[in-house]
Amino acid sequence: MITIQKLSFKWHSQQTIPTLTIPSLVIERGEHVFLHGPSGSGKSTLLSLLAGINKPNSGTLNVLDTNLAQLSNRKRDALRSDHIGYIFQNFNLLPYLSPIENVMLGCQFSKPRQKKALQQSDCLEQEAARLLTALGLTTEHHQQNVANLSIGQQQRVAAARAFIGSPELIIADEPTSALDAANRTAFIELLFAQANLVGSTLVFVSHDESLQALFNRSISLVDIMEQAQ
Amino acid sequence: MILIKLAYKSLLNRRGSAFLTLFTIAISVMLLLSIERVRVDAKSSFSNTISGTDLIVGARTGDIQLLLSSVFRIGHTNNGVSWQSYEYIKQQRGVKWTIPLSLGDSHKGHAVLGTSPDYFTHYKYGKKQTLSFLQGSPFNHLNNVVIGSEIASTLGYKVGEKIIISHGMGNTSFHHHDDNPFIVVGILNATGTPVDKTFHIPLAAIELMHGGSHSPTDHEHEHEYEYEYEHEHDHNAENLIGEPTQITAFLMGFDSPLYTLQIRRNINQYKDEALLAIMPGVTLRELWEMLSIIEKILLLFSGVVVLVSLLGMLTTLLASLNQRRRELAILRSVGARPWHLFSLISIESLLITLLGCLLGCGLFYGLMNGAAGFLQSNAGISITVSWLSHYELALIGAIMAAGFIVGLIPATRAYFYSLADGMSIRI
Repeated sequence: MITIQKLSFKWHSQQTIPTLTIPSLVIERGEHVFLHGPSGSGKSTLLSLLAGINKPNSGTLNVLDTNLAQLSNRKRDALRSDHIGYIFQNFNLLPYLSPIENVMLGCQFSKPRQKKALQQSDCLEQEAARLLTALGLTTEHHQQNVANLSIGQQQRVAAARAFIGSPELIIADEPTSALDAANRTAFIELLFAQANLVGSTLVFVSHDESLQALFNRSISLVDIMEQAQ
Repeated sequence: MILIKLAYKSLLNRRGSAFLTLFTIAISVMLLLSIERVRVDAKSSFSNTISGTDLIVGARTGDIQLLLSSVFRIGHTNNGVSWQSYEYIKQQRGVKWTIPLSLGDSHKGHAVLGTSPDYFTHYKYGKKQTLSFLQGSPFNHLNNVVIGSEIASTLGYKVGEKIIISHGMGNTSFHHHDDNPFIVVGILNATGTPVDKTFHIPLAAIELMHGGSHSPTDHEHEHEYEYEYEHEHDHNAENLIGEPTQITAFLMGFDSPLYTLQIRRNINQYKDEALLAIMPGVTLRELWEMLSIIEKILLLFSGVVVLVSLLGMLTTLLASLNQRRRELAILRSVGARPWHLFSLISIESLLITLLGCLLGCGLFYGLMNGAAGFLQSNAGISITVSWLSHYELALIGAIMAAGFIVGLIPATRAYFYSLADGMSIRI
């Protein structure tokens, strides 16, 4: 699914020490990976590379058997919207759309994902509602104003948006940082269930190492960086 | 489809500023349409002031001055046409009818016109419409007066009422003809021309008013006598016209328009008196050309108003763009490409202009409906409250196009907003 080799990335070309150096990292299809490291260890940078927002300066970065380092901006945009679902730390929901509409937005700019969503349900609304329910947002909240939802509820909407159209890769960037322990575990288990259902690979990023136990694999970014030196 | 929905919902979310922008555009559209409608209709009302008259003849002055004094009752001519010349020209071959006009008197600021009964059959305005009576009939006695519709409504005169007519133009004449009361016998229908503001009296009555001085007692006597006389015998046309020494001008109609140029030349070269004959249609056009600078200024102003409103939209869109970086970045992060954002902002500006134009048309119709009566009675401009003309639709189209082009500026900026914004932005 993801193959990284001798990757290095600098924010500015004058930087002497690269922000991120990864000699080798492989994540298999269907794996649920916990990626952890303290603040400033380069987690967000790695995610921006995986999502194709930034390009590595050197090395190879294969996502879905495509080397992102060699793709044009446009093609990286296409790859991201067709194959990657992203759950943001701050959810990034549009305040003027209902939860259902926010979820639908996840596949409305991608034909392949739209098609996959329609294989699951008759229409996008129905699929969005199905996902929201599966992730634990009851129907009464489906048409409510997003701003009036609780943090936990907003998080479920953000997750459903990432899952709609069954993308191959789900990236979750500290989505549980605002939750208490019990809710956190419950939410992560829902994510696993959904990911398993469609066979998505899940890369979950957090600085909170207590979550590590829930995942079948965990990667410490600090260890990788040390390994490089 | 999704972009239109997003643009709509996003605008709805910012309805306060969006509505203000939309409203400025609506007002500018309303202004532009109203000014254009009034301009076009003023032009047609203006050129419809007189029709069916082939020549207007008066003492030699400027073409426009003659037109203004004879048709619009504006200004003052010192010289007139002698009755002999009038009688002579009237006899020319091809002359179908003539209407003598004698102006110079006024009543409460409105012109008093001495004329022949032919006026009510041959004078035409608009699309060759003759004058028609709301009430009563043409004058057939020396002390009869027929009033225009506006006089009837503003001064409240009714058929059968006695009025006093004074000498000289204007409200504050020194000499009042208190000794010559007139009886209102007819009220004309509204025409939207200066006829509405005119008192029509027999030509002979003008002479009578200005005739020899006599003591009040003498006069009363004479008057009583005249009354009895009038009741016993109907005046014929000759009595109503009389034989004045001179008249201000006269209108002519020919058997065929082919006579017009020849007779016009003959009159202009008439040896016994310096006369001028003008073709009203031609001179009306000349007069309008003179006024066209005002017309152009009006157009310029409404154009500027539209421009300002579009710049207002540009300002609002650009200002909101900064606040919407996050919103746009979120869209990018869920898969929207740069051109999606470009289209989104373009659609928004188009939506604002479209709704602004629609609202502007609504306001325009409201204004026209409200103001049509006022303009008709106060400015003599008959406004046609009809569906938008091709010209007006083209104007709206131009505003839409301009709005779209203006919208491309913020759209281009949105295009270059980077995706990284959305990934790193914090609440």
